[in-house]
Amino acid sequence: MTTHVEETTVAQDDVDEPTVEETVDKDAPETESSGSGGRWRIALLLVAALFAASGSVMWWVSDQDPDRATAQTRDDVLIQARQAISTMNTLDYRKVDEGVKAWADVTTGTFRDSLTKVSADDQQLLQEQKKISTGRVVDAAVVDVDLDKGTATVIAAVEVTVQDDLNPGSEPTVKRNRFSAELLRDKDDDNRWKLESLQQVAVNLS
Amino acid sequence: MTEPSVKTPLLTTLRRSLPMGLAAVLIAVGLVGWWMTYSLRSDDPSSNAAVVDSKATAQVQAAVSQALGRVLTYDFQDPASTEAAADSLLAGKARAEYDTLFTSLQQRAPGQELKLTAQVQAIGVKELSDDKATLLVFLDQSSQRATDNESSVSAAQLSVTAEKTGDTWKITALKPL
Repeated sequence: MTTHVEETTVAQDDVDEPTVEETVDKDAPETESSGSGGRWRIALLLVAALFAASGSVMWWVSDQDPDRATAQTRDDVLIQARQAISTMNTLDYRKVDEGVKAWADVTTGTFRDSLTKVSADDQQLLQEQKKISTGRVVDAAVVDVDLDKGTATVIAAVEVTVQDDLNPGSEPTVKRNRFSAELLRDKDDDNRWKLESLQQVAVNLS
Repeated sequence: MTEPSVKTPLLTTLRRSLPMGLAAVLIAVGLVGWWMTYSLRSDDPSSNAAVVDSKATAQVQAAVSQALGRVLTYDFQDPASTEAAADSLLAGKARAEYDTLFTSLQQRAPGQELKLTAQVQAIGVKELSDDKATLLVFLDQSSQRATDNESSVSAAQLSVTAEKTGDTWKITALKPL
């Protein structure tokens, strides 16, 4: 009996062993395939994660690039300076009030003060001279921009057409002027760039 | 025994599809990121280095100022040095246009004992890339005729195009405004 029992236990062991081996055998190819498939998947995930991370970082870096901010400011300054400089060269004797208001709107600081203090006598004079000046910026370039200080320098070639209504029917005269302008970013007015000074660039041969 | 048979397909599908889905999402994020990077770097303001690259801006300003000064300064007693300057500092259309000007100058200069001086008063770079730049230049010019002691000064405004070959900037177009 003891041998029989032994035999059965042996037999049972024999029966058990193959099932264990079987399950291992069944699993083995699967774990192997899912192992190599898993490795592929992990590799793919890693590559994808790297791709996503590098793309996001580069996006952020280029968005935060200070050079980009400077470049955009430079272009803003140029557009607004052109507008302001042509406004400063434009005045219609029939609408002096409006013209002076337009000047005040594109200037700042002491320059603005000097323009808004145009006296009634001066306005009267401007009206009596009967001139219609129209300024056009032919070409302009930003010379310098300081983002921290909010200052910029612009040079502009301006064409001013003057119609003299004291001589009705006379041909308008066209003048070419060279201007250098200092601009200041106005924090109180939507960060618009305004003229702090506007000066003619005179001939100065040394 | 029933438990694993139920679990296995679910786990396998999860194990297989979840990483694939995640990978797809990550790749999409990466594509958007790189695309935005590309578009930010190649848009108009960023591709213009004028003012932004202060060193390169100063370089082209100095080169063009110097070139204009040399090419537009003329002494009837020494036309050769002006011509030599033109040879080394002008190219393309500007070179051809200058030749016409120079020829007419050569014809009347000795008789009038003509001297021309040019000096850049203000200069600004409008556009700047690695090998091309456009500038706005305010130029002061004077001319003296020794024969009748006549002299005059004038203010000019020029739109200048310069191109870089190797390390040197050459003026390729000159347009009075």
